[in-house]
Amino acid sequence: MASPSQRPEPRGLRKKWRRAWSTRDAGADLLSASLRSELQEQYGDLSHLRRVGSRPPLREYFTELFDRRHFIWAGARGEAVTRYANERLGVAWYVLRPVLDAAFYWVIFGVVLQMGLGMDNFVAFIIIGVFMFQPTSRAITSGSSLIRNSKSMIRAFAFPRASLAVSLVLRDLLSSIPAMGVMFIAIVAIPPHEMPSAAWSFFPIILLLQLMLNLGFALLFGWLGSVMPDLSQAMSFASRLLMYASAVIFPIERFIDHPVALGIVQANPLYVVLEMYRTVLIDGAAPAAGDWLELILWAAGLLLVGFTLFWRDEERYGRE
Amino acid sequence: MAASDTAAGWRLSGEPKLTIAAENVRLRYTVQRTSGGRWWRRGQATAVTGPVLRGVTLAAREGEMVGLVGLNGSGKSSLLRVLAGLQPATSGTVVASAQPQLLGVSAALVPELSGAENIWLGTLAMGMTPDDAYFAKERVEQLAGLGASINQPMKTYSSGMAARLRFAISVAADPEILMIDEALATGDASFHERSKEAMHGLIARAGTVFLVSHAAQTIEEMCTRALWLDAGTLIADGPAGEVANMYRYYAHSIAIGKNEAAKRALVSATEAHPPRLSTN
Repeated sequence: MASPSQRPEPRGLRKKWRRAWSTRDAGADLLSASLRSELQEQYGDLSHLRRVGSRPPLREYFTELFDRRHFIWAGARGEAVTRYANERLGVAWYVLRPVLDAAFYWVIFGVVLQMGLGMDNFVAFIIIGVFMFQPTSRAITSGSSLIRNSKSMIRAFAFPRASLAVSLVLRDLLSSIPAMGVMFIAIVAIPPHEMPSAAWSFFPIILLLQLMLNLGFALLFGWLGSVMPDLSQAMSFASRLLMYASAVIFPIERFIDHPVALGIVQANPLYVVLEMYRTVLIDGAAPAAGDWLELILWAAGLLLVGFTLFWRDEERYGRE
Repeated sequence: MAASDTAAGWRLSGEPKLTIAAENVRLRYTVQRTSGGRWWRRGQATAVTGPVLRGVTLAAREGEMVGLVGLNGSGKSSLLRVLAGLQPATSGTVVASAQPQLLGVSAALVPELSGAENIWLGTLAMGMTPDDAYFAKERVEQLAGLGASINQPMKTYSSGMAARLRFAISVAADPEILMIDEALATGDASFHERSKEAMHGLIARAGTVFLVSHAAQTIEEMCTRALWLDAGTLIADGPAGEVANMYRYYAHSIAIGKNEAAKRALVSATEAHPPRLSTN
């Protein structure tokens, strides 16, 4: 008879999975005593058993998430490339879409409604607003359908589901890089020309904080969307509301007299982000310390709340 | 070749480790049944929920290839979903030595991406490093055997092609517990052979494979052991050939309307191969 030593050693991935599996809570105790003894008699040791579908402990979750970094990257890149695959102009839409958007809003709000009167550079105001608003708005709208759209991946493979949210945020970053290029060119080229200044070096830092914010939103809405699938129907409305409340296309504070309403609008994280981008790019000044603090708190808070809620329901996402 | 692999799988019984155990798994489902079940006949005509699994207790060890037979609606697929943790049981416990990989009859992975890109994404999702994934890619493509279609978007695939691709990706990870829900029924003869070999390879490396099929012949050819589910209850548990044969007789009796003979077949199957673990 074969001795235990002849059993083939687990290789590569299986070894990895064994280690990951061993971090879950022991499962044999979940069986009734009579069955446990019956199984022990027939099969010996039961200490390697874990409850199926169980969520890893927090530390292990991060380890596995880090382990999936190539998956996250491949997912982000693959979907960014295929987003406009059915269009004849293909990737050109990454530039065309935001250009058309900005032109549209500029015509309506700048030329027709004359909302830019009394502002130094209304074109730059709109362009920065529209271009930098889009990644966050996409994180929210696609976040709400994240679990539903990834169901077949979730059911086919075991991986930390939060990697889907990270992938989503990365994908939006990748697909908005061309738009950001257009944005910089546009605000320099269109009069009154904004010239690069030292303050522009704050841009990547604000962008990083915005990405954190986006990830927090994606996780939060990913969880919300899995609890309430109907949410994705209301999302286009919500993102429009957010757009007007964040001063994306016109300075909303001019139209609000009520101090409480104004306070709410100005506490909105996206309002703060756009305000900071404009301070840096148009005024060429460093954003106020209060803005920094507010944005950091928002980003960290949303990330914490979003991740906690998302992680807590980890076991549920594969179910129907 | 395949046969010797099976034998190798059995030889592991020197000290077979338990890979999966389920205790008293019950599942109630919200269903719209057109024909009456037992709860229906009891006069609960307004009820829309019904039992799908009525307390299934089972265990499997490494090196086993377990077939599940039963009529449509007997709870085979539900049992697999519960065993894989994709569906919470109403009551009962399932523990395993690894997260089971379930291969169901579902849609493409990422429909917009090509088969090759889905392989890449899938292997990475399972935790492979890019190096491993690169080497696995060729094996997966070979096993799937999709030819030039591998570079087409997965949404253009037929259900059979998608199932082949997903099977090939899952096997590449060398999972300890693989569960296949009818997914391979659509494959053609050449793929049938390759998939059989791949599965035998898995159990030879101390894995466990569960295979659902209502074609008794598939179970007989591929499996070492068979479980027979009827109306959510485990009827029989024994060598694949014998259980599959009894099931075939039963299904045939039902088909030609000999309900008495079918009932007797159920009873004699339970007598010949009773479920191994006691249900309380």
